[in-house]
Amino acid sequence: MAWGVRPLVPIVQSIKGLASNTTGARRSVRGRGGLWFYLVASFFFLILELFGASIPGQVRGVADDVVAPVLNLLERPLRYMQSGMERFAGVSDIYQENQDLRDENDRLKQWREAAMQLSRENEQLRLILKVPKREVPAAATARIIGVGGGPFERSVLANAGSLDGVEDGLPVIDENGLIGRVLHTGRWTSRILLITDINSRVPVRLERTGALAIAEGQNENYLRLRFLPAEADIRVGDRVLASGHGGVFPPDLPLAIVSKIDNEYMFLEPIGGLEKLDYVRIMAYHAVPDTDALLLDDDGGADNE
Amino acid sequence: MNKARTAAVELGAASFVPLISSFLLAVLMLLPLGSGVANVTMPHLAMIAVFYWITRRPMLMQYGACAAVGLCLDLWLNVPLGLNMLLLILARMFVLSQLKHFKGRNNAVHWVVFVVLSFGLYFVSWLIISAVNGVVWPVRAMFIQWLVTAFSYAPIGFLLGRLRRSIFQ
Repeated sequence: MAWGVRPLVPIVQSIKGLASNTTGARRSVRGRGGLWFYLVASFFFLILELFGASIPGQVRGVADDVVAPVLNLLERPLRYMQSGMERFAGVSDIYQENQDLRDENDRLKQWREAAMQLSRENEQLRLILKVPKREVPAAATARIIGVGGGPFERSVLANAGSLDGVEDGLPVIDENGLIGRVLHTGRWTSRILLITDINSRVPVRLERTGALAIAEGQNENYLRLRFLPAEADIRVGDRVLASGHGGVFPPDLPLAIVSKIDNEYMFLEPIGGLEKLDYVRIMAYHAVPDTDALLLDDDGGADNE
Repeated sequence: MNKARTAAVELGAASFVPLISSFLLAVLMLLPLGSGVANVTMPHLAMIAVFYWITRRPMLMQYGACAAVGLCLDLWLNVPLGLNMLLLILARMFVLSQLKHFKGRNNAVHWVVFVVLSFGLYFVSWLIISAVNGVVWPVRAMFIQWLVTAFSYAPIGFLLGRLRRSIFQ
């Protein structure tokens, strides 16, 4: 019926137009809806952080666990490449370095004898005086596989987690001294907050005088010494050790060296090799009794009775 | 079927290249490059990748993809949750609103736009971090990372360009 088709064409066209307009409107709404949904979600997370209701460390721990295998895979060739480049760069100095190492080895042999003698004497005196041992066992030895924080935080990711016996808050050292503490743990990874982070505070004492203070991270390569008594004698080159106050860090761990004194501002250079962390030791140190554990013990004791 | 879905269907698995490459560069940001300051001197590779793909293939880098990359980065970098998510969403919003002014222009123009945009995003992140922590956050480390990121755009953009040409042409 040709006569009936013609009048229908504009109607069909208008319906098509309407349909396309509707699709366009829906598309636009969907795009904007997506934008607003994600914007609101990001603001929601940020407001949670603003009011201190941060998401649990376990969630971040799981995220670290997920990315750890990839980092493990990528980190190894990178290490080999770096060590290869360092070896290549060091070939020209190898003769001089060999000579220096021989001299250092001779000096270390003498020191070793003295240290062994002192250690024996120390052990005998401890036995006589019944002083408890101060050695802190290692919870785990881990390798640094990632860094974090960007310009906002100084933290690193280690490849040992709760399955290796690592717990939140444990102190971490490298071969030179204290580098930080465990911030949160995943099953196979743990995040370590470095002593240079702006949120890091370590109670310390000066090795030479015993004066107590607090070493504060500055999100820089140095730390700042604060709350040192005004009458304290301090010099550039003084060693700073963890005092053990507060119970987070074991006492006498080397932390830093006084590098600059500028009136009331005193700056410290970390002893630990924060610039080139490879293997670290996470120490099983629990100076402050775990109140929950004590309560459980009490309950257990009551049950037994 | 919307444009993004049409593009994804036409390209098949290749449509995931922008998202995957952005994730890969985000993971690379976590690698310890032999220096304790690596997390400062490491450019914001995810920001570079997201900007690159939004300017070249906006349909393959939707808001959801930007949010996912940002959220993972927040979790991995241990920074306030929502920070990178917001930055990457803002980056897409800005680029889409201004793309008509620099689309088809040479790479130098894109670089300049990225430098200006990244400066704005770093400023926003400084405001957020200061608000979340309740202190005026030091700007030095952030400024250094912005500079490194701005200078890194050219080489990373070049590599992404090679990838784009090898896959989409």
